[in-house]
Amino acid sequence: MFGRKRQASDFSAEIEAHIQHESERLREQGLSEEEARAAARRSFGNVMQAEERFYESGRWLWWDRLGQDLCFGLRILARNPGFTVTVVLTLALSIGANTAIFSMVNALLLKSLPYSHPERMGTIYTRVTGPAGSDERHHLNGEQWELLRDNVPALISAVSGIRASGVNLEAGSQVQYVHAGRISAHYLDVLAIHPIIGRNFSDAEDRPHGPKTAILNYGLWRNAFGANPEIMGQTVLLKGEPHTVIGVLPEGAIIPLDADLYTALQPSRQGEGTGTNFEDITRLRDGATWEEADAEINRAWSLRTQRYELENNPGAGVTYYSVPLQKGETAGLRPQVLTLMLAAGFILLIACANLAGLTLVRVLRRTPEIATRLALGASGWQIQKQLWIENLLLALVGGIAGVAVGFAALRGLLLLLPEHFLPVADVSLDGRVLAFTLLVSLLTSALFGMLPALTTREFDLRSSIASRHSTGGDRLRLRQALITTEVALTVVLLAASGLFVRTLIHLQTLPPGFNPTGVMTARASLDNVRYHDAPAFRKLLNESTSAMRQIPGVQQAAVGVSLPYERSLITGGIAIGDGKEAGQKVMADEVYTTPDYFAALQIPVLAGRSFTEADGPDTQRVAIVNEMFVRKFFHGANAVGRYLDKDTMIVGVVENVAMAPGIDPVAPLTIEETMYVPAAQMEARQLSLLHVWYQPSWIVRTSGPVEGLTAQMQRALASADPNLPFSGFYSMRDLLAKTLATQRVEVALLSAMTALALLLSAVGIFALIANIVTQKTHEIGIRLALGSTIRQAMIHIGAPGVRASALGLILGLILCAEALRAMHSVLYGIGVYDAPTLASVILILGLVTLLATILPTLRIARIDPAKTLREE
Amino acid sequence: MSTQETRERLELLQGTLDMLILRTLIFGSQHGQGIARAIQQTSDEELLVEHGALYPALQRLEERGWVSAKWGTSSNNRRARFYSLTAAGRRQLVMETIKWKRLAAAIGRILDPAKEG
Repeated sequence: MFGRKRQASDFSAEIEAHIQHESERLREQGLSEEEARAAARRSFGNVMQAEERFYESGRWLWWDRLGQDLCFGLRILARNPGFTVTVVLTLALSIGANTAIFSMVNALLLKSLPYSHPERMGTIYTRVTGPAGSDERHHLNGEQWELLRDNVPALISAVSGIRASGVNLEAGSQVQYVHAGRISAHYLDVLAIHPIIGRNFSDAEDRPHGPKTAILNYGLWRNAFGANPEIMGQTVLLKGEPHTVIGVLPEGAIIPLDADLYTALQPSRQGEGTGTNFEDITRLRDGATWEEADAEINRAWSLRTQRYELENNPGAGVTYYSVPLQKGETAGLRPQVLTLMLAAGFILLIACANLAGLTLVRVLRRTPEIATRLALGASGWQIQKQLWIENLLLALVGGIAGVAVGFAALRGLLLLLPEHFLPVADVSLDGRVLAFTLLVSLLTSALFGMLPALTTREFDLRSSIASRHSTGGDRLRLRQALITTEVALTVVLLAASGLFVRTLIHLQTLPPGFNPTGVMTARASLDNVRYHDAPAFRKLLNESTSAMRQIPGVQQAAVGVSLPYERSLITGGIAIGDGKEAGQKVMADEVYTTPDYFAALQIPVLAGRSFTEADGPDTQRVAIVNEMFVRKFFHGANAVGRYLDKDTMIVGVVENVAMAPGIDPVAPLTIEETMYVPAAQMEARQLSLLHVWYQPSWIVRTSGPVEGLTAQMQRALASADPNLPFSGFYSMRDLLAKTLATQRVEVALLSAMTALALLLSAVGIFALIANIVTQKTHEIGIRLALGSTIRQAMIHIGAPGVRASALGLILGLILCAEALRAMHSVLYGIGVYDAPTLASVILILGLVTLLATILPTLRIARIDPAKTLREE
Repeated sequence: MSTQETRERLELLQGTLDMLILRTLIFGSQHGQGIARAIQQTSDEELLVEHGALYPALQRLEERGWVSAKWGTSSNNRRARFYSLTAAGRRQLVMETIKWKRLAAAIGRILDPAKEG
């Protein structure tokens, strides 16, 4: 297909015909046969050259040449295995890092959500101007939801609960702790997901007090019900109440609110609807535009009676607008992912600087070869082409290796992430990622190939053929500049990951305020009609904790609705009952506990007393507050004996414990003002609402490891209620790890990339010095012969490396001053300009530089001055 | 004969050979040697067509689709490859000719400004 249609023999035949014609003409003019033929040939010129030109114009030749160049390139690369392996490894690691991180970017930010017409799906952002301005996705309250549902015809809207909660599913004789999500009637319609059997929730089922129904996800249907289609229309007990199964979701369906099964949300303005407890998703109806939808939303929500956005922010302007659902779902991860992508980009640049240095040296070393080829008639373009082909070969081999490394890195990365950490089902190396990798490989080869290619353009044939030695010393400055650049980038990465590490250390070593060792916890769902009744609830807690106390080795057993390191319920409108702060309304975490809670977790009681069995439903209502609560609301004065909400007396003050933030999300772990109340004084009304969202934990402290502790705890719970399963067992260390998952992942990824950057920089410096040593062997020999010590020679040779690195360090620190400020929002407990971090950066870089400089200069000791002189 | 050999001929300007070949073929199909002769004769033996350069040029024109070629028999009963102008070649010739005339006129004006009115 690529071949020309005409054979070379045909061309020769034509030339032969020409010569015959010409000689015939000349013969007619009177020349002899022989003379005529000679003259014809003479006037034709070089037949061979014409034939060659014919051949060269053919397309085959182009392929031939490329094939030759490729073969030659491969041979050259194979003959320098050290160089080739270094380059391919560098490329594999840097391209691999980029591939892995880009596949996250791709999955989270670029790929469309796995729904039909994802561009028509959205969620609503609230933009508040004024002193306490913000621009983010808000949760909705019941009033907002009703207005959105009824007055915004441009959208199909739906809401869900904010997170799935643990509930007990009883089917036949089986009880199981499952995660249940609550979604409104058209939620699955917005997602365009249709159950494989059955149907979605109807409007009637979504009304308050409507019929109780459930939709199972595919996994639960298969595991708990053996994929039995007969389940449709049957009744299961959920939270102790009968629910009719009306549908099963398709396998692999991705629901933003991830859960095992779904019930109708039944949202209203009452109950949870008084607060912002719903999360919205929308789909544009056919024919409508987002502008229309936004106008309708703003009109509808301006009618609201309760404008919570304006509280504490007088005179603020509030507007609402739709954003793509993808943006709404990934907003939280976007900065982290982009930071990582930036870091990966740095790695690539560092790698390029290194490779540019390496290839530059190699081209300079090949001066004799190139000179010979030029002398034999190769054109400058042919030499350039050869160099570029070698670079491309390297980049492609590196790219392929990079995809393999990226694939492995991605698997490792996903293992590192907690389950359901990412709001997407799958992070894969798809076509887009591979295209990206190919592009990156080509870009890399262009970047690192440019310098050497440019240097060969000003190649002086005469001087290079004349000199035996390869020239190249004059390129030292260029190579130093490359080292400086990569060191500067490395410094920024080093500082950034140093700050992350320090943040994680800060959070992990935060005084917990309790003793986490020797504590085992387990959660159970009390979102159950059986426990909407306060006496039944009290009986359960009493019987189960005393049964657990019987387990040999158990010192204390207690129950609390939330644990340290976890989020807890936030209660607003707590009124200070007396004193000069009387009437002030405050907001605090509220935790109900059994009397042993503080003893079991060893939270020190700082003043007053702990709860006792005597604090019952019919006695004085009491509360214990933490030190933060006292400091914030009583300004550090003695709080014991003071009143909250008129009738609740503070009987004790306890030490602060580290919590996941609820009130003010400033850090993954924080100290919040907390109010503890006795579980025995909780009212049925509070319990039923609280248990929709929170599953209380049973806490057991043991003196040492106890054989089969978890099984015995389950048995103890079963002795109080045989139909109450635990969700799973967690040590306090597990909970801490879960809370700090994001930070751990950040630290792991950024540290890995920083280590890579550091390694690359070290290799760069090492290569530079090693090369100088080789080039200057002769000079060093003379220096030694003239009386220089080995140390002096080492310093002389190593100095350019150290100087370049030092300059890079200074440049990097200047860059840090700007770059690190952007990290401000993800650092906790340390400043952006953290002295220990910066000191370690300088120290680590100094050490690496010294090592990378000294190792290659050790060869100087083996240089024999006598031999050098003999050569001279 | 001998005067012909010693007379200094003009070498073709770069890129003009293609145009001249196309122009020659406007009168009908012709083989390589015929084309070379025609150019030489029409230019009153002023232009030197290096025969060796002619065939690669013909090859190039053929690949571009401006001429087509097939083997045939010449007037003196010899086999020869005959070239003829294609429609695309005709268009190309018109374009080249216009371009060349403009160029020649412009150069002429510079070299001999007096002629301009």
